[in-house]
This record gives sequence, C-alpha cells and structure tokens, in this order.
Amino acid sequence: MAGVYTPPVQTLIDELGRLPGVGPKSAQRIAFHLLKIPAADVERLASAIHEAKERVRFCERCFNVAEATLCPICSDERRDGTILCVVEESRDIVALERTGEFRGRYHVLLGCMNPLEGIGPEHLKIRELVDRLKGEPVEEIVICTNPNTEGEVTAMYLARLLTPLGLRVTRLASGLPVGGDLEYADELTLGRAFEGRRAVES
Amino acid sequence: MKELYRDEAVVLRTYRLRESDRIVVLLTKEHGKVRAVAHGVRKTNSKFGGRLEPMSHVLVQLRRGRELDTVTQVESVDRLGPMLSSLDRTSQGMAAIEAVEQLALDREPTPQLFRSTVGVLRTIAERPSSMNVPAFYWKLLAAEGLSPMLDACVRCEESGDGVEIVAFDLDEGGVLCRNCRSGVSLSPAALSLLRAVLGGRLNEALAAPESPATHEVGLLATRAMEHHLERRLKTIALFERH
Repeated sequence: MAGVYTPPVQTLIDELGRLPGVGPKSAQRIAFHLLKIPAADVERLASAIHEAKERVRFCERCFNVAEATLCPICSDERRDGTILCVVEESRDIVALERTGEFRGRYHVLLGCMNPLEGIGPEHLKIRELVDRLKGEPVEEIVICTNPNTEGEVTAMYLARLLTPLGLRVTRLASGLPVGGDLEYADELTLGRAFEGRRAVES
Repeated sequence: MKELYRDEAVVLRTYRLRESDRIVVLLTKEHGKVRAVAHGVRKTNSKFGGRLEPMSHVLVQLRRGRELDTVTQVESVDRLGPMLSSLDRTSQGMAAIEAVEQLALDREPTPQLFRSTVGVLRTIAERPSSMNVPAFYWKLLAAEGLSPMLDACVRCEESGDGVEIVAFDLDEGGVLCRNCRSGVSLSPAALSLLRAVLGGRLNEALAAPESPATHEVGLLATRAMEHHLERRLKTIALFERH
C-alpha cells in the first residue's frame, strides 16, 4: 500500500502501527490526529518519548525501571533488605506498592517462563537473582508471579532453585477478590482460597 | 452464523489479546481444534476465572464466528489444581498438550485424540511418572498410523531369540539387529519398555521407576514425535536443559 500518502505521513503511520495494540486503522487515526493538533502539543509528546527513552533504564540491582543506576526502592535505605519480592514486570511493583503492605525490596524477572513458547529461565533475570542473594542479607523470597499457568511454572521453578539455598520461599496467596460473589468464583480459585483459609481474629 | 454450541474441551494454549482478553486454542470433542476469544479473562473479576488456563478440561459454550469463536460460558470438568501442584506435573502436562496442538486439525473432530488427551492429563494429575509423556507420544504416533516395528529387525525382518536388537532408526520406523544397525542405539531394557507401551501393557510401563531405560524411551519418543511433526517440541527441550 505504498504511495497512497506522502512519505512523511506514511512513515508516521507505519511507525505508529508497530506499537502494541495499534492496528493500521488506529495508526492512521492517530497520525491524522497528530497532524491536526498544534505543533507545541506534538513537540511535548515527542520530547516526552525522547526523554523517557534517554533517561530511563533498568535498575542494576532489581531491573525495575530507574533514572539512575539504582531505582528509588533499591536506593531507599529504610526498606527491609531481608525480604525480597520477585515479580514479572515493573508494573507489578506499582500494583504491590499501592497496597502499602510490603516494605522489602523487589526483583523484576522481565517476563515469565513459558514452556509452550520456549521461554526458559535463561531468558529471565533469574541468574541475576541468584547472584544477588550472595551479596545481600535476604532471608525470605516472596514469589509474586501472575496466578496463571506461566506464572505458576515460574514460581515452582524458582522454589525448586531457591529452597536448597536455605531461604524461606513463599508464594502470594490465591483467593477471592474483595467485593466479588462467591457463586461466581471458579473452582480453582475457590479451592485455593479454601486451602489457605485462616482463623478469624476476634 | 451467530449460533451457539456447547462442547467438551481441553485448553491447549492461550495467547494474550488486547488489554485483558485471550485467544484460547481448544481441542473440543465434537468440533476438533477451535480458536476462540475469551473476553476479559485476564481481569481478576472475570467470570471465566482460572477455568481457561492451559490443560483445563472444561465444558464450554461458544458462539461461532468467522475465524475466531467467542467463549460465552465455561464450566470445569476436571480440577486443574493437581496439575499445577508440582513442576513435574505441569511440565508433563504442557509437553503433552504441545504435541496435541500440533496434531489436532482445525474444526475436524478427532474423538480418539480428545479421549487420549483427557486420559493423559488425568494420569499425570494422579501419578507424575516419568513414562507418562513418552508413552503418550508413542500412543499418539501409533494412532497416526506410525506404530514402529518392534518385534523384528525392520530391515532384514529377522526375529527370534538369536537376533539381537540393538538400534532404533526413525527413518526406517523400527528396531534393527546388530548386522543392519543404524540410527540410535537401543538397550534391551528400553526395548522391553517400548514393547510394554505399545503392546497393551501400558500400566506396567507407567509403573516403571525412573531409570536410564525410561530416559532412553523418553528421548526416543520426543525425537520420533519431532520427526513426525517436523518441528522441535519446545516444552521438552526447555525442561531437558534444566
């Protein structure tokens, strides 16, 4: 479909179309929106992208997104260094931080094991995690991978790898979402919620 | 074209789609391999919940679409919990469904394949024997009409007590005697395991404790399956390395 638009417009559409979830039609719509809005707005977007790409990198210790060599969590001395939470992506840290329940540090795997796609431990930051344990006073590892098959595989693999090192390895509990109805819960979730039941504090 | 239909299915694979949807590849009992969209399945308040994870055995209601169907209701048949209770079970289950996905044909009913898939997943959940997947692969190949010749040398057709079977050749499709040997070597213990798997003594083979012979049969099963599919099996390769 080359040559329908002038080259600069076509290039813009092609580049936008490479973004996740943006199809050719959406790319076209966004491109024409960008051409219509004031130049200053476009400039702001361009510089935001440019600056984010320039300044943001992965934390050398936990692979969270960071502006410096260490992310804000790793450089915060008040965080508990004995407990480490292993997550799949940086955005999972944001979700966990919002709970306000966890005061330890994190380790981002940058993905999860997916046997059917051939993504194994060597594609993730697992070796880096093991290396990290040598130098840090970690006592407990909380595995916070997603509660789906890939996340479970990753969790079980990590447990098999880390338990022999003499660490306490725990997994995030699975249960019922707050505000939901019991009758709509699937058997797997409900079964696990049952398994992990606990005494009610009175 | 907007008709609804119900069927029993095993989830073979899932792909992420858009914000919170998934494409699920199902092996159904009566409609063969079907691709369907499950809307909102990745949200924590999804009505499908954990029922559409790979290896799930479910009853589904689907709405027929042009290419992709849509999942409208799901009920579990077998519990998935045991499958996700150990790494051995999960890796075996995934290795099994990976081969099934390759063998199943789109919208082409294969009741026998469906039955054996459900069977192998139940067996794995019950007892994660290291022979589960190899035996399943050999059975699948036999069902495809690729049963290997095990009783006599495939080249000189000699059999009997005097003939020593020492090798297995995938191209020839069977075992070979010392004089005709080619392919990979085969130990007597592995040969008897293979004969047990394909000769109707499956339970005996599944009960065999892990040994070099079970490993040999496992490796051979993977190679034979890959030879037939003409592609590598990723799950097996991944867990073999670690």
